[in-house]
Amino acid sequence: MQSDPWQQWQALAALFTPGAPPVPQAGSGRAGASSSAPFADVAERFSAAARAYLDGATNASASAASPSRVEIARVFSDHLREIFADFQLPWSTGVGPNAGFGSASPAFSPNSPALGASREHQQRWERIADAWRRLDDAQRRLQRLGADALREAAADFAARLGPAPPPAVSPEALRKLYDTWIDCAEDAYARAAHGESFCNALAEYVNASSDCRRDLQTGIEHSAKFFDMPTRSEINTLHLRVKSLEEELHAVRDVRKPARKARPKAAASKAHPKRRRGKR
Amino acid sequence: MTAGSFYAALAASSHCTPGCSEKESVWRSGKATLYRYRPIARPTGAAPLLIVYALVNRPYMMDLQEDRSLIRGLLAQGLDVYLIDWGYPDGADRLTTLADYIDGQLAGCVEHILKSQRLDALNVLGVCQGGVLSLCFSALHPQRVRNLVTMVTPVDFHTPADLLSKWVRKIDVAALVGDGNVSGDILNQLFLSLMPFRLTQQKYVDLLAGSPDRARLENFMRVEQWIFDSPDQAGAAFREFVVWFYQENRLAQNRLEIAGRKVDLNTLRLPILNLIGKRDHLVPPQASIALQRLIGSDDYTAIEFDLGHIGMYISARAQHEVPAAIAQWLASR
Repeated sequence: MQSDPWQQWQALAALFTPGAPPVPQAGSGRAGASSSAPFADVAERFSAAARAYLDGATNASASAASPSRVEIARVFSDHLREIFADFQLPWSTGVGPNAGFGSASPAFSPNSPALGASREHQQRWERIADAWRRLDDAQRRLQRLGADALREAAADFAARLGPAPPPAVSPEALRKLYDTWIDCAEDAYARAAHGESFCNALAEYVNASSDCRRDLQTGIEHSAKFFDMPTRSEINTLHLRVKSLEEELHAVRDVRKPARKARPKAAASKAHPKRRRGKR
Repeated sequence: MTAGSFYAALAASSHCTPGCSEKESVWRSGKATLYRYRPIARPTGAAPLLIVYALVNRPYMMDLQEDRSLIRGLLAQGLDVYLIDWGYPDGADRLTTLADYIDGQLAGCVEHILKSQRLDALNVLGVCQGGVLSLCFSALHPQRVRNLVTMVTPVDFHTPADLLSKWVRKIDVAALVGDGNVSGDILNQLFLSLMPFRLTQQKYVDLLAGSPDRARLENFMRVEQWIFDSPDQAGAAFREFVVWFYQENRLAQNRLEIAGRKVDLNTLRLPILNLIGKRDHLVPPQASIALQRLIGSDDYTAIEFDLGHIGMYISARAQHEVPAAIAQWLASR
């Protein structure tokens, strides 16, 4: 689009959000980012941090040990870790009941005696509360594993930058740093994602979401029946009946097909005398 | 180009539509539609080629635009191309099973083509999950398939690099599906999660950093549309696919039954061409390569391309290499 795409993220982000604040200068923070383009925010913050790193490392002492460059690289990688810690991984949205029912956990004490006419509802809400706790716990475990992966990525990134003098600030240099960072982040994430802890936490997250949704659905159906509204279960029952009838119909047709094929020619000609005459 | 003009160009590109080759609908059943593509080259006389696409995405990726169309490449090779479009399942399809797809809709498409062309057998190209359906169909109806091409098709679902398989291994799929369908949005999140930094960040940086010409932006937008145009999945079929294939690996372990009939890949005696993406993050190469040890056919060819999953359909390299490889292989049989 232009020589330095990084500086354009803010301008684009402002365009994605009509009425957003005026376009700030690069490195001035998160203003101008929008929900339509969350990646713009991350890229813009990356750009600012990368410029600071390149400037700082260029001015740093180029002595044999080059401790200052290593230190600057470490600060840069730590900063990247923090930036990406805000980044929502895709599995954390849309799967759980959080997407449709808000994030507040229902307050129910577990294992309280269920007595009286409302005992079934109490038990259902207890199950929902329990599923919500499991969901919350699984999400924390996933976040922790994600944070660990980012820490690994930051260490790997700092090691790759090393004590060598960096290139001058340029769009190409920024792009190379960005791609290296993404490689480090993706590699570290992949190592975590293949691990048993991550797989277990993700499965628990999905399973707790499913349990929560099932019991919430039961509650909604209970309310729907009160107002004599059709429920999902009712439609499912009707659907199963239709499916069963369709299968029976297919079975009957399958039985009749060979019988029709096996019909003697004489009988068939009797059944369609006019068509035979017409063909002549 | 300023940010404003880039934004305007991007917005204008958002309205471009995918698809470039002329086709006509020749058969329908439920939500499924069978299309036949208009020829653009002298016919080779080979048996028609039926493309069986996956249930999880839309098949227009095979014919995205003129310079990114495997279907156009196949037509240019003189092949008679058909395609199954499974459609968008809705709540009424929640009980649709894999048997309904394989023995009902896929079999219906095949019967229509064979009847209308007075043939006994045709060629099948199964893509990704569609390759799995094609393998099942070929094993159940061997007399109907003359040659089988599988493209980025998983067969062994328990290979070490298969992240998707590891993730779903402990998920209670019956509870996830419940009595309904599975939302395409959930699948989108799942696929993005496989490489979140590349797919939700770097991809958009690449968009800005590259050339701003209209053709490139339109190409990007068409792919973007395809990626997120994920149909909901019929609940019963989804449950069966995840449990039988991803969790229990029945196909590779010779324990799969569809509609009460065993799917034994070892009974496959037909020529098979297996196209593999070496950098495929969704279907790791080893998951596809496993096909060779499971089939009974002596006529097996595997070609590995240095491409990723999506690159196998839309990369410039794929346009030159993949249709030609398929056509040459078919012509030699």
